Amino acid sequence: MPEPTFTSRRGLLFGAAAVSAGALVTGCTSNEPSGGDEPAANNQPAADDKPGKQVTIGFAGPQADHGWLNAINDNAKKRAEKYSDVTLEITEGSNDTAQQIGQIETLINKKVDVLVILPADGKALTQVGLKAMRAGIPVVNLDRVFNTPQAYRCWVGGDNYGMGLNAGHYIGEKLKDKPDAKVIELAGLDNLELTKQRTQGFDDALKNYPNIRKVARQAAEFTVESGQAKMAQLLQAQSQFDALWNHDDDQGVGALRAIEQAGRDDFLMVGGAGALSAFEAIKADNGVLKATVLYPPTMAASAIDLARALGQGKGIGGLAEFEIPSSVTCYSAVVDKDNVDQYMPTGFR
Amino acid sequence: MTQNVSPPRDSTSKVPPAGEQPAWRAVLFRADVRTLSLLGVLAVLILIGGLTKPDQFLDTRNLQLVLTQASVIGVVTVGMTFVIISGGIDLSVGAIVALASVWATTVATQEYGFAGILFTAVLVGLGCGLVNGVLIAYGGMVPFIATLAMLASARGLALQITDGRTQIVTVDSVLDLGERDAYVLGVPPLVLVFAAVTVVGWLVLNRTTFGRRSVAVGGNAEAARLAGIDVRRQRLYLYLLSGLCCGIAAFLLIVLSGSGQNTNGNLYELDAIAAAIIGGTLLTGGRGTIVGSVLGVLIFTTITNIFALNNLQTDVQQIAKGAIIVAAVLVQRRTASTT
Amino acid sequence: MAPEPPLLSMSGITKSFPGVRALDGVDLDVQAGEVHCLLGQNGAGKSTLIKVLAGAHQPDTGTIRWRGDDVTLRSPIAAMRLGIATIYQELDLVEHLSVAENVHLGHEPTAAGFVVRGRAARASTADLLKRLGHPEIDPGRLVGDLSAAHQQIVSMARALSHDVRLIVMDEPSAALDPDEVDNLFRIVGDLTAAGVAVVYISHRLEEIRRIGDRVTVLKDGRAVARGLPAKSTPTSEVVSLMTGRNVEYVFPPRPDTSPAKDAAPVLTVENLSRRGEFAPLDLQVRPGEIVGLAGLVGSGRSEILETVYGARKPDTGRVLVDGKPLRPGSVRAAVRAGLGLAPEERKAQALLMLESVTRNVSVSSMSRFARAGWIDRGAELGAARAAVRELSLRPDNPDVPVRTLSGGNQQKAVLARWLLRGCRVLLLDEPTRGVDVGARAELYAVVRRLADEGLAVLLVSSEVPEVLGLADRVLVLREGSVVHTAPARELDEHRVLDLVMEGSPAS
Repeated sequence: MPEPTFTSRRGLLFGAAAVSAGALVTGCTSNEPSGGDEPAANNQPAADDKPGKQVTIGFAGPQADHGWLNAINDNAKKRAEKYSDVTLEITEGSNDTAQQIGQIETLINKKVDVLVILPADGKALTQVGLKAMRAGIPVVNLDRVFNTPQAYRCWVGGDNYGMGLNAGHYIGEKLKDKPDAKVIELAGLDNLELTKQRTQGFDDALKNYPNIRKVARQAAEFTVESGQAKMAQLLQAQSQFDALWNHDDDQGVGALRAIEQAGRDDFLMVGGAGALSAFEAIKADNGVLKATVLYPPTMAASAIDLARALGQGKGIGGLAEFEIPSSVTCYSAVVDKDNVDQYMPTGFR
Repeated sequence: MTQNVSPPRDSTSKVPPAGEQPAWRAVLFRADVRTLSLLGVLAVLILIGGLTKPDQFLDTRNLQLVLTQASVIGVVTVGMTFVIISGGIDLSVGAIVALASVWATTVATQEYGFAGILFTAVLVGLGCGLVNGVLIAYGGMVPFIATLAMLASARGLALQITDGRTQIVTVDSVLDLGERDAYVLGVPPLVLVFAAVTVVGWLVLNRTTFGRRSVAVGGNAEAARLAGIDVRRQRLYLYLLSGLCCGIAAFLLIVLSGSGQNTNGNLYELDAIAAAIIGGTLLTGGRGTIVGSVLGVLIFTTITNIFALNNLQTDVQQIAKGAIIVAAVLVQRRTASTT
Repeated sequence: MAPEPPLLSMSGITKSFPGVRALDGVDLDVQAGEVHCLLGQNGAGKSTLIKVLAGAHQPDTGTIRWRGDDVTLRSPIAAMRLGIATIYQELDLVEHLSVAENVHLGHEPTAAGFVVRGRAARASTADLLKRLGHPEIDPGRLVGDLSAAHQQIVSMARALSHDVRLIVMDEPSAALDPDEVDNLFRIVGDLTAAGVAVVYISHRLEEIRRIGDRVTVLKDGRAVARGLPAKSTPTSEVVSLMTGRNVEYVFPPRPDTSPAKDAAPVLTVENLSRRGEFAPLDLQVRPGEIVGLAGLVGSGRSEILETVYGARKPDTGRVLVDGKPLRPGSVRAAVRAGLGLAPEERKAQALLMLESVTRNVSVSSMSRFARAGWIDRGAELGAARAAVRELSLRPDNPDVPVRTLSGGNQQKAVLARWLLRGCRVLLLDEPTRGVDVGARAELYAVVRRLADEGLAVLLVSSEVPEVLGLADRVLVLREGSVVHTAPARELDEHRVLDLVMEGSPAS
């Protein structure tokens, strides 16, 4: 279970805010900042851990049929529990567009203060995002982006291109002295745009290393079963290669199983997303999996933070703005043996 | 203009009357034109694989790989073939595999070790089959709807059990079964199970009263009823059989992937139906062969293998798969109309 | 002086199917305005010939001339465009569409080319039905809700909705009552008076004599006689052309000693009834006895048999075999007690058409050849072969698919099934429907022999001579009630027809 502690990259955003804003509110009995003689940029109202105005946040996500989505829900819930001034209205997750629209409309009718929406399908849910915004309910759009910025006040999400880029650079650095190195890629569901973005980032990064060649790519389906099946085929197709990037740690469970069954250990593997099992394997360092590139589910906790700040009309500590940003792209950090301990609590099952 | 071309009256002598065909021809026809054409398709695929990737394709390890990958869906397809022959359909096979695989890999089940996992998988499969069978045979529900409902609920239950998490198997005896050391004379245990299910399925279909009744119910349910066959009980048994196959397949999948996940068995129903239909099973029931279905599965798995070895991407794979289904069904229709 | 060319002239038509030469150089001339009868045993090639004429089959060789011009009938639509309409024996109507929709199927009156004008379709359908003497059929009703006879009328209305010059009728009277047959003949008369030619296929020689002008006799895919005068050719000549025999129906002799009156009945039916189908019925059948149920279509005959057999659940009463009551509404209980049914719709209700004769014969006795579910196929084949031989089913190779058999031999396969099962009460529902004349006599002999061997037989037939000729005792049914019971030898056809018609409302 990922603990929403401040050890992740999110700390960069909010850790400092907690410190500075905490200092500011000292002695204040109201939610309003004391103002005073400090520069304006330093005493804007910023959200902090101290209780403030009561905020009801509506949260609508897809069906948690995947470890990462499950972690999204957990992160949101845990984060909301942490604040005594936040009430979280969380809907039953659904992959059915019509059903999710209905759920969000219910939340709008309940007049929640802020909405956090992870749409099952960003394009299809744009209208309901617009509707909420018009009804005066600001929307924090999580990860899968709406068609138009009018449909959300703030977007927070992962960086698929950055995942590929960072995975490519990590592998590139490891292999840069090896002449004629071969790399293979086990991609996720090919129907999804994000898979294309990840592959694009990976390919772009590899362009920096002329000695490395991507010799094969097969797409699995984010499931253990498909990971095992596709990896087994890739291993049969490529009798020798130096590195593997797997887009998703869930399908990576299957991929690792196939690697084990084939008895192969002559390459290095980099994962994606940040599953606990991957972190544990990296820490144990007894297999091919040496690193994984994050697509952090903690973004859901951040979304709650942003929604709370919105509801309380505050900005973010550590930044000069009076308001929260309109878009936050989470960094896809590379987790390897050196920093895995730090990320361990955010790993999802 | 066909100007009064009167037919030669002696032309009758050129057509041998029925029953005087040469013996070899009769044997060949008995062996089923469809089965032979499927073998032909498989041979062409092997040729393509061997030509494009001689080193990787024509390799013992690759044969083991293809057969292993065919095992899980293959076992499901044997059960599906029975159901379709009887004039039914089972859309819930993939969902049952998912449910059985996650139920069998919960922390609690894994405490009971190998036997616990195996029995749970099989029992969950049988249980789902029982529900399907009762709803269809005694509840009077249309198979399409009853098994569609089972699809939805079994997937839902699987999700509820896992919470969307991957359940890693920690029972070594189960995991070992999927590894190279467990191969029997070079044959993976999964493939042995697949082969056993195929042989038993063939025997049951062709040599037992159960098989006969299944065909009779599918060929003409009313005639079967009036001939004194308990059509409803037969239907119940058939869905139980399909559930059992799903349970076995779920266990194989657990061994293969070392885990249980609620997304397991995704779209198995379509793969199994497609393999059975390509294998010559009539979607309306009354006719079908286990050998044809298994060949259908092997054709699909071999295609996937050749595509992967040649590093073709998903889009091309899907287009080709669709084209092959259409081609196979057209061939089937042609052979059906000429026999 | 050259006579007017015939409306239709087919010559040298051949058509082969794998292993079978169905048509072997058939010639057929049809004049406008005549009723041209096509006679022949089942398998003689009648069905194939009319399918060629309807454009459903393409001939291998031969020419078809229509009003003097060579034509090729590539499809049923091509035939229809020329004005050739076919009413098949197995009606090809869409049950879930209305009468009007069926009549205009494929050529719906439309506005702007695609909007179906339902009102116009219903109006023209009503006109057609009126012309056919059935104004009571509502064009808006679903065809599936109509009786078989009315469905036939709809089928005919469909044929007439085209600009038709030739109508092919394949056994149109098979499902009709005498009244309805009269109506049919009136329609045929109207058509021919208007110059339309009718190709009429029937097994009933008396009908042919009533309405036919000329007769073409088919045998083994050849026309053995062409253009015989229908009214004056002696029956014996026609029958001998078809069969090589000189008799129409041959009934086996009844045993001299009628089945012992004191023998305990095998089958006892007490107070059996189904609301809306038949009134409470009592009957007994003794071993060796053939009891016949005579009545019109819709008199509840088939329903009685199916209820006795457990295929329908009775509202009152019970069925006993050897004095032991059967569980009502259970076919399995009936079969276990020794009942066997040869149903009216052989293909739909009895046969597994994709399967071999062996499997069709053994389907009710599989457990006899099985140990723990495993079938001893040698024993099965042996038993099937023996049963097939005993009934002289042809071909005597039980491996052939049952669908390749003629109607009579398919019926024998059904009888063989029950013979093999060792059944003691045989329920026969229209046993000779679709069975040709020659094969009928053989079937009658088989049934009598089975009775002589101790079987109890309950027979239902719409052909009164068949019931009178075959049964020992006859129950006459009118509208679901038994109106008379008598030994068959005390009845004749007229008496029975009087009984079934008496007081029945004129329809």
